[in-house]
Amino acid sequence: MAPDELLERIAATLRADIGPAIDEPYPKTQAFMAAVVLERVARQVRTANAHEAAARAEQAALLADLGGLVPADSPVAALLADAPAPGAPTADAKTWQARLVSALWANADSLGADLFERILGRVRVTLRHQVDREVEVAR
Amino acid sequence: MSTSAAATPRSNAEPLDDATMAARITDYLRSQLDGDTDGLTLDGFVRIAVGWSHETYLFDARWPGAGPPGSLGLCVRRDPGNALLRELSDLSDQFRVLRCLEGTAVPAPKAYWYEDDPAILGAPFIVMEKVPGVCPNPWGREGRRFYEEAAARGTLPRSFTDTLAALHTLDWRAAGLDFLGVPGAGTDFARGEVAKWKAFMEGCEHPPEPIMADLIGWLEANAPSTDRLALVHGAYRTGNFLVDDDRVTALLDWELMVIGDPMYDVAYVLSELNREGSDLLSNVVERDDFYRWYEGATGLEIDEDACRYYLGLYAMRSAVFWMSASGLYASGANPDLRLGRTAFSVPVVLERAANDLGY
Repeated sequence: MAPDELLERIAATLRADIGPAIDEPYPKTQAFMAAVVLERVARQVRTANAHEAAARAEQAALLADLGGLVPADSPVAALLADAPAPGAPTADAKTWQARLVSALWANADSLGADLFERILGRVRVTLRHQVDREVEVAR
Repeated sequence: MSTSAAATPRSNAEPLDDATMAARITDYLRSQLDGDTDGLTLDGFVRIAVGWSHETYLFDARWPGAGPPGSLGLCVRRDPGNALLRELSDLSDQFRVLRCLEGTAVPAPKAYWYEDDPAILGAPFIVMEKVPGVCPNPWGREGRRFYEEAAARGTLPRSFTDTLAALHTLDWRAAGLDFLGVPGAGTDFARGEVAKWKAFMEGCEHPPEPIMADLIGWLEANAPSTDRLALVHGAYRTGNFLVDDDRVTALLDWELMVIGDPMYDVAYVLSELNREGSDLLSNVVERDDFYRWYEGATGLEIDEDACRYYLGLYAMRSAVFWMSASGLYASGANPDLRLGRTAFSVPVVLERAANDLGY
């Protein structure tokens, strides 16, 4: 049995058999919550490889596009050089993306409205895909 | 906030079973109440589970005494040590606020005592009046039906609006509430709130979220100017006040109160997040009625742009709230799996924020 299927089976047992058999309110709620969490973890396990691959490809595309958008003398150029290596885990890429977005807002005036919007707009495309994947697991 | 007496998590405060808690409260009350309190008993003693905040106990203290028998309906709120948002407001602040509100038009329980000595009940606590009323959970089916039926009868929508108006027209300086901190003119309030929640987020040790960074950047760059300050509840919605006979009898949950822009509360009323499945604002009031009654009672015009901004701030707050909640579980500070589950709420809130930012 695949790990995600096993987790879903356990969740179903918690929801249908264990939870209803518990009278005490606190443990009863915990049993149902455990089912809810396990259902999401199962989705996470099932989608992990595809999501990780998509995230890496999008991060690579983002870096390529930003290379053409960000002037070498701009205040955020140094961050591009500091980007995680291709193939780095999604978590590292997200940490870097957060730094980049903060730097964009902090330097919005010096970048100028047009350039700021273009760079941020490009970053947001990547973030949109990323959050869509996360919500696919979380809902 | 849930009013269900169901799930009660364990706390980091000294664990006391209900019998021990009742006995200790009895001893404490005998030391506080004047006159002959021999034979004091706590009738109807019950612990209610109110969300993930402070532990709450309700009861009627009765004592025969030498003269006429005494009776007092009371509520004890105890800091469990691992409550959500406790970094933002402790019980002593809430006690001071309740004291300041006494005698004002804002419905709030009378606060009797605050104690920070853990030797008494194992953790800091407040003793306050037990106000008549119920607080149905607006997220549940029964709660939604309660508010829907009350809205149809017509009294609660007006009371809901009038209570917010009373809060926002309160002379908070005269009431002594300036101890909460008074923002400066211009954008100080909005920027201060963003900074406060940002600092709180950084303490959660949640991994950096780029959409959150974007939202914060937008909030810092677009902070509205505030020319009128009011006492702001910070979470004004159904489920955060008591209702008796279709009227608001007491505002609850003062953890997020601030002196600030009244539109901060108005935006929360307007938020779709607080009326799942209902066309009524906060499940109780028609939008047009709310606008007309609120503006008539306060003399304030509802500023749509400011409200849109504060909805963004609420998105930030919600995400930070879930980061904090899941962090309490992840760190082992609170074993309640409901908190652990909220790790999955963070991307849901951030996705909504991304939509609002135009992603």
